[in-house]
Amino acid sequence: MNSVWPLVITLGYVAMTMAIGLKARAGHRMDTLEQWGVAGRSMGPVTLYLLIAAGSVSAYTFMGAPGWAYSKGVAVFYVAVYLAYLALVAWYFGPKVWKFGEQFGHVTQASAIADRYQSPALGGLSALVMAVGSVAYAVLQTVGSAYILFVMSGGMIPVWLGVIIVLGCIAVYLFVSGQRAIGRTNAFQGALMLVVAWAVGLWALHSATGGLDVAALFERLQAENPEFLTLPGARGDMSFSFWTTSIIVSMFSFMPPVWTQWMCASSARTIRRSATWLPTYYIVILPMVVVGFIGIYSLPELARADTVVLEYAMANLPVVLVGLLGAGTLAASMSSSEPFIHSVALSITKDVLQPLFKLSDAFTAKLARWCLLPVMALLVAPLAIAEPGSLVMILLVGLGFASQVLPAFIGMFFWPRASKLGVMAGILAGFAVTVTFTTVWSHPLGVHAGFWGLLLNLPVFVAVSLLTPPTQASVVERFFRIAAPRGFRRSGRALD
Amino acid sequence: MRHPFVLPTSRAGWGLLAAFVGLVLAGTWPVIGLFNRAALMFGLPLMIVWSYVIIFACVAVMLIGNRIVEGDGHE
Repeated sequence: MNSVWPLVITLGYVAMTMAIGLKARAGHRMDTLEQWGVAGRSMGPVTLYLLIAAGSVSAYTFMGAPGWAYSKGVAVFYVAVYLAYLALVAWYFGPKVWKFGEQFGHVTQASAIADRYQSPALGGLSALVMAVGSVAYAVLQTVGSAYILFVMSGGMIPVWLGVIIVLGCIAVYLFVSGQRAIGRTNAFQGALMLVVAWAVGLWALHSATGGLDVAALFERLQAENPEFLTLPGARGDMSFSFWTTSIIVSMFSFMPPVWTQWMCASSARTIRRSATWLPTYYIVILPMVVVGFIGIYSLPELARADTVVLEYAMANLPVVLVGLLGAGTLAASMSSSEPFIHSVALSITKDVLQPLFKLSDAFTAKLARWCLLPVMALLVAPLAIAEPGSLVMILLVGLGFASQVLPAFIGMFFWPRASKLGVMAGILAGFAVTVTFTTVWSHPLGVHAGFWGLLLNLPVFVAVSLLTPPTQASVVERFFRIAAPRGFRRSGRALD
Repeated sequence: MRHPFVLPTSRAGWGLLAAFVGLVLAGTWPVIGLFNRAALMFGLPLMIVWSYVIIFACVAVMLIGNRIVEGDGHE
């Protein structure tokens, strides 16, 4: 690719994002965690819709998902299904989490856990271990960003420089505008991704089939390679059990940035309204996946399946669309990495350093902003440049842990009797199983390692909770007045 | 609380819970197996069509849920 336009368009996108992120501060003082951490709980339904949607549509949608379609087929649609289920989760839990935050002053997920179980140690533990998965996720997205800059510049911007450019931009606007920057940039990135995905998908379809009728493409697959149209897919590795357990485990992984995003809403109703329409955004996956299917016949010898859209675009699409694809893919990876980086800095400061060193709220707020720099410079950047082979493994273990925190949420929303020790025992037992079944014996019987973890985690959690003292009644009452207001009114009368 | 677990307190609440469970069942085994055929519908593979049916059904259920939750002033 000899044209300079793809690079110009991609860098133009970076400059626009930078400007939007810096302007997002809009005169607000960023010296409290209420502002820097959760944007003063001020976001309206459209911003929140695009914030959550863009945050959950990562570089995977532009690279990984078409790659899965190219190598496995329709198995890739488990992602669309679980993203829709995550909207159900947001619809039910989001408004309650928002009320917890508003009434009890939580700005992080770990703060809510520490408060519910009256245990800063449990809050700190969950913050630290969630940070493992969050950092690994941010690193993977940063690697994707740097790769896009490398391709769009025809190799002129090496990966290490791409990492520095991307993280440098994110660091500046996150430091200046905090969660407000994430809200505004994700809104811009979400809209851009939607437009780019459809433009690239339709253009690619037209160039491959001479029209916009997708039926010709799938009729050929049906006739020549029907294994791409069913499970377990062309590689035979997406069984019914793996499809099902992957969806269930992903659905119950309450990642900290999502929790924080819920608390950014202007009201509980705002979250419900945004969540209701959230699944409609995930149609964005369809056009990109179609390009992956096109690649099966157009690019049969690809070395890396996840480059199928980029390779196809560079060979067949006009340079302006290639540039927009670069910008869209970069938007997808940046919009997913920045909430995770922000969340790690916020939670480590608020839930680990503040209770450990008895820091004041004002100093904690200042420290959280500066904590961005070591998180990026000492963790994300070196790992992204080194690209260790174990990164995906770290991510899988980290995400596996995220699902093992489920007992903490059962005790917050459904079961008043849950105890601190029950949650800890469940998490540790589930985590041990998840790590073992991720690293030593990968997904036995085709069942997701996190699901195996939950099978031990939940009984241990219940048994230990019943054998140990519950959290003090006044705290439980405080939480369940929000989690189950009607049920709790009955309890109040009974107690009277 | 009367029950040790939080449960719906109205018929509409139970209906909504049943709809949520039904949606999750619709996207997982064994229901997904019914649509695991190399057939096309509207020019798209059946599995893709079914995935989008689930996606739009989620929107529909949440819209109904909004009416229930906001209709009885129960935020």
